[in-house]
Amino acid sequence: MADRLERLTNLVAVLLETRRPLTLEEIVDRVPGYPAERESYRRQFERDKSTLREIGVPITLEALYAFDQETGYRINKEDYELPSLDLTEDERVALHFAVTAVRLEGGAGESAGGAAGRDALLKLGGFEGRAAPTLAALPDVPALPALFDAYRRRAPVTFTYRGGIRRLDPYGILFRNGHWYAVGNDPDRQAIRAFRADRIESAIEAGPAGAFERPDGFDPASALRNEPWRFGDEAPVDALILVSPTQAGWVEADLGSKAVAERRDDGSVVFRMAVTNRDAFRSFVIGLLDHAEVLAPPELRADMVAWLTALAGDRTAEGSA
Amino acid sequence: MTRPDAALRLRRLLTIIPWIVDHQGSRLEDLAARFGLKVAELERDLELVPFCGLPPYTPDRLIDCEIVDGRVYLRFAEYFGRPLRLTPAEGFSLLAAGQALLAVPGADENGSLASALGKLAGVLGGGDGMAVELGAARYLEPLRAAATASERVEIDYYTFGRDELTTRVIDPRAVFAAAGEWYVDAYCHRAGDDRLFRVDRVRGVRPTGEHFDPAAAGGAAGGGVFHPRPSDRRVTLLLNADVGWVTESYPMESVEEMPDGRLKVVLVANERAWLERLLLRLGPSAEVIEPAEVRAEAEEAARRLLVRYG
Repeated sequence: MADRLERLTNLVAVLLETRRPLTLEEIVDRVPGYPAERESYRRQFERDKSTLREIGVPITLEALYAFDQETGYRINKEDYELPSLDLTEDERVALHFAVTAVRLEGGAGESAGGAAGRDALLKLGGFEGRAAPTLAALPDVPALPALFDAYRRRAPVTFTYRGGIRRLDPYGILFRNGHWYAVGNDPDRQAIRAFRADRIESAIEAGPAGAFERPDGFDPASALRNEPWRFGDEAPVDALILVSPTQAGWVEADLGSKAVAERRDDGSVVFRMAVTNRDAFRSFVIGLLDHAEVLAPPELRADMVAWLTALAGDRTAEGSA
Repeated sequence: MTRPDAALRLRRLLTIIPWIVDHQGSRLEDLAARFGLKVAELERDLELVPFCGLPPYTPDRLIDCEIVDGRVYLRFAEYFGRPLRLTPAEGFSLLAAGQALLAVPGADENGSLASALGKLAGVLGGGDGMAVELGAARYLEPLRAAATASERVEIDYYTFGRDELTTRVIDPRAVFAAAGEWYVDAYCHRAGDDRLFRVDRVRGVRPTGEHFDPAAAGGAAGGGVFHPRPSDRRVTLLLNADVGWVTESYPMESVEEMPDGRLKVVLVANERAWLERLLLRLGPSAEVIEPAEVRAEAEEAARRLLVRYG
């Protein structure tokens, strides 16, 4: 195994230092450790090449000279080298703390994301300062690195989502309510759309870099709003709900104080909500069980009564008979 | 012991050599700690270095590696002067972790972490289009402070699953975010056992003036948030395809697609109010298969809510 490691290390050095691409024969000639027979060294080199690409070494295949048919390999220093970040010791301590405090976890065992964070730290100069206790666990989703890469290179992406092929110019990546989203422009619908990364069913296919401009000041957080009852294309309706004292504080924290329409003497509170999605609104109110009541408008109140009556079974009819 | 493969060791070498080139005379022990290795592993990797270099591999073309009094010196390794670029997964993981930590209420927006992330974003590109929200909760900060100082506190807690408000004394060991919520991992004196509490359901925090021993007992922090037990009640539902999202939003024991396109799911539901909410929300899109009494419970819940509507 040491032999192979030696050969791989020399291969990287030779390909980094060469001024022009090297043919396979030149490589085998310069890097010790390849077998003599052509088919064997070709196979061996293919294996080495994929090992190097696996760890992120950018080997390119280029024409030897302009207009030349013959091709060779090299490593472009600019693609290989991490630009200097000039991190201070304090900044390295802070990044180490972050990578250990925030775990990216996928399934069983050590996750790919967690290991990637550690590997990144090593490249930036190793572990500085102390590890932190876990403060947050974020899900690791296979599509994320490719989405992130496309976002930072401004490359349009294509993927399968809920059985359909979707296209997106990724303007940003957002983590909210326990889920990762890719947010951007959907060229087919000509609108801003958010896709949950864990629902993407295929690999991410990325187009050319720099293919779109991100709008100035684009904020993924405001593009994906939290209040689902506002997300709909139904005619907007102002609804009033009455919430019991025990739940009113929580609802106010959730909706904001601006939503308070009336504070009653018994501690209960009336909230105003702008509804464009009745299903989501009903879900929200049901979440409060019998601590909430739809006061207005009459048709939303009637909707709720009809919904609950349908679920209440036959005994309601018997009871009121 | 399994030997680490060549790819792993190569990646390690290409990471460590640039650091030594920039920090000549670093101590072996310090280097090993910095790169998360045992000293013996590091020594074995470094033993190989003097055999590497450029053709014709004469002494002046090989990397010169010397270890003197436990300090490491490298010469003739200029082409390995910089580490490899970050892979997309590495760049993403680092930024995600950093952004998440900055999203914790009370984080210093102008501190070292923020400036490090700024430098990183400058190199990776992309700017400020990546955002992590961990959410806020009214009592997050007092609970984090109590956990940090090992202070026993009294809390008012709303048990969502049973729809009841209780007051209890807890020893908060750790506060952490998982699955989109903030949790307190604590010993609960009322239950006489370890409990996870959701911070957004805490309705009050009061100091008791007492402290607890943080080293004592338990601590499930960061582990799974929800652990079903064999004795838990299982409910089997048939879901219409339009509410398939339920299988992603709630922990499921099993999901099976039926020939008619509906989904047969089994979920763990010990808490009455939790199940009531789910069934009332799903309405006609869900059918209870078993146990039969759950059907009656859902009907009863609908009638209870209807009381408010006279």
